[in-house]
Amino acid sequence: MSTAALPLAGPAVDWEGLAARARLRRRLSTGFLYLAMILGALPVLVPYLWLVTVAFSGRTGASTFVLWRTLAVLLPALVLGSILGLAIEDVRRRRQALLLLAGITILILAVFTGPYLHLNNWRFLWKADVADALKGASGIGTLFPSVWTAFFNSLTIAGAQMALVVIVSTLAGYYISRFAFAGRPQFLQGLLVLHAFPAMTLIIPIFLMMYWIGLQDRITGVILVITALELPFAIFVMKGFFDAVPWEIEMSAMTDGASRRQAFFHVVLPQVRVGMLAIAIFAFLRGWEEYVFVRTLLVAKQNWTMSLYLFWTITDVMGVDYALVSAVGVFYVLPSVLLYGFTQKYLTQMTIGGIKG
Amino acid sequence: MSRPRVRQRLDMALFLAPACFLLVVFYFAPVLVDVVLAFTDMGRNLEITELTTANVERLLTGDRRLPGVLAVTAIYVLGTLAVFNLTYGLVLALITTAMPANAGAFFRAVWLLPRMSPSVVYALLWGWVVAPTDYGLLNQTLQALGLPPVDLKSDAPIALIIVANGFIGASFGMIIFTSAIRSIPQHLFWAAAVDGASGLAIVRHVTLPSIRWQISFVTIYQALSLLVSFEYIWLITDGGPFYDTTVYALYVYQRAFDSGQYAYGAALALGLVLIGITAALGLWRLMDMRALLQRPRIEVT
Repeated sequence: MSTAALPLAGPAVDWEGLAARARLRRRLSTGFLYLAMILGALPVLVPYLWLVTVAFSGRTGASTFVLWRTLAVLLPALVLGSILGLAIEDVRRRRQALLLLAGITILILAVFTGPYLHLNNWRFLWKADVADALKGASGIGTLFPSVWTAFFNSLTIAGAQMALVVIVSTLAGYYISRFAFAGRPQFLQGLLVLHAFPAMTLIIPIFLMMYWIGLQDRITGVILVITALELPFAIFVMKGFFDAVPWEIEMSAMTDGASRRQAFFHVVLPQVRVGMLAIAIFAFLRGWEEYVFVRTLLVAKQNWTMSLYLFWTITDVMGVDYALVSAVGVFYVLPSVLLYGFTQKYLTQMTIGGIKG
Repeated sequence: MSRPRVRQRLDMALFLAPACFLLVVFYFAPVLVDVVLAFTDMGRNLEITELTTANVERLLTGDRRLPGVLAVTAIYVLGTLAVFNLTYGLVLALITTAMPANAGAFFRAVWLLPRMSPSVVYALLWGWVVAPTDYGLLNQTLQALGLPPVDLKSDAPIALIIVANGFIGASFGMIIFTSAIRSIPQHLFWAAAVDGASGLAIVRHVTLPSIRWQISFVTIYQALSLLVSFEYIWLITDGGPFYDTTVYALYVYQRAFDSGQYAYGAALALGLVLIGITAALGLWRLMDMRALLQRPRIEVT
């Protein structure tokens, strides 16, 4: 009875074959997951693709002709790309193969859809009265502001609100992280409850208060409201970042003769730049996409934001010109998507109470 | 006061006062205003002439629409939560973490797209997808598959708002579950695999028990957001046809801003505010209080 002899007792095992079979099985199951995820992602992606194709190729109608052509090229390319990615093990050769595939796809796409592309739907960018002209055709008539008015209003709201959120929450986050003061636990608890509390329920009293203090239909009012609604979340994120800064570095700055405020500005702030950037992006995106509060608080046309501009374009023009509507839609959604895409890695670094925000 | 004390007070004012001011003006004051408003007769002219309990009486006994609205709300919240925010979010998190990292990140980014795009654009897309005309993407696809066309907006409006909101809601669970799954120690998975557990058994007996806390957090948090948010429903179906998709939060808004019954709207909103405070307190108990309330780093008082 020897345990060491046990492996020898059975028939010879084909280890190589077993390993190859296991590898194959793993690739097949990964491939199956890919397929499932691609099919699952289609209902999300295809409508956005449709919006883009119509914006660049549509002639008044929301034709799906170019969309189907694009998909007929993109889908096989996506599947082929997944297969290549799984099949080629060498990293450099895989990258080369994928780049080649991308190049060929773009070429085929250009051949198949190129002739249908045009920029006529984007005329709203340089002709302010496009919507009015189209609407006039359908028989109703009030003036649309220029799209740039709406664009700069949105930019003002998003930008000013972003600056306020970053400044106020950085100051508060630092103080909460560093100082013991009477009522600190209560303050933190209250803040946490506010973070979970849905501010949307307060829209009626907020509207009335704005009306009473004369900020209704003022962009300033909207900026203040959105800032306040973002604050509990932002303060918590900033507090988390300040907590992660060892307080020895600040202490050493003060030992070297810096005042408390100097230490804050010159030593601690640079350490939490990533956190400030993250909440800045979040706040900007939030301000850019805001709809319910601007719809409720802003009325005058010169105060329209992009969301209101798109909404009224949809309401008034859609029956006449789908293509124009989709161009406005792409113009509005593009900054959000680009900003989000380029800064995703900062946004995923936030944590709040053990929860990723 | 001595000079250092003055300085401390100044510091506190400089750092904390802006935040306190905004929070008091936009959270606490509105709650008080709402409570008072619920007992007035404010109408379209935004003037208060008398104090009355008529709104509360109407809310409790006299509103014929309310039972229907509450039923729609319950179906919408529970349906979206069960199918998308929890189940689908969990499935997405499980699959994308089982894939190679790059591919997983790509598919998560795809599912974040609806959340990242402005609500008006998202609603516009849904309007086009389900349009009962020749253009409707859904009907084109159904016809290509040889199925009869459907008109979701009038035939199954509740299903439409559940799916439309679910596509956005799924990403919240996905993000939180993904980071939770990533933080499970790898050796647990290895141990289970060595013991011969299949993939599904590992999910059932290792992954799910490890992320129980996150599952209850997502459930409460998302139930609350579904209950109070009406933005997408407002934009996609506007509560119609008739009152078929008018959820409570949308009903509150319409009563106040469309019918001009601000006082009654405030009374209705009071219900939501109470639910909101209760749920927020519940969530607060669930959060990791020790981490949040850790002692301040500096001993200065």
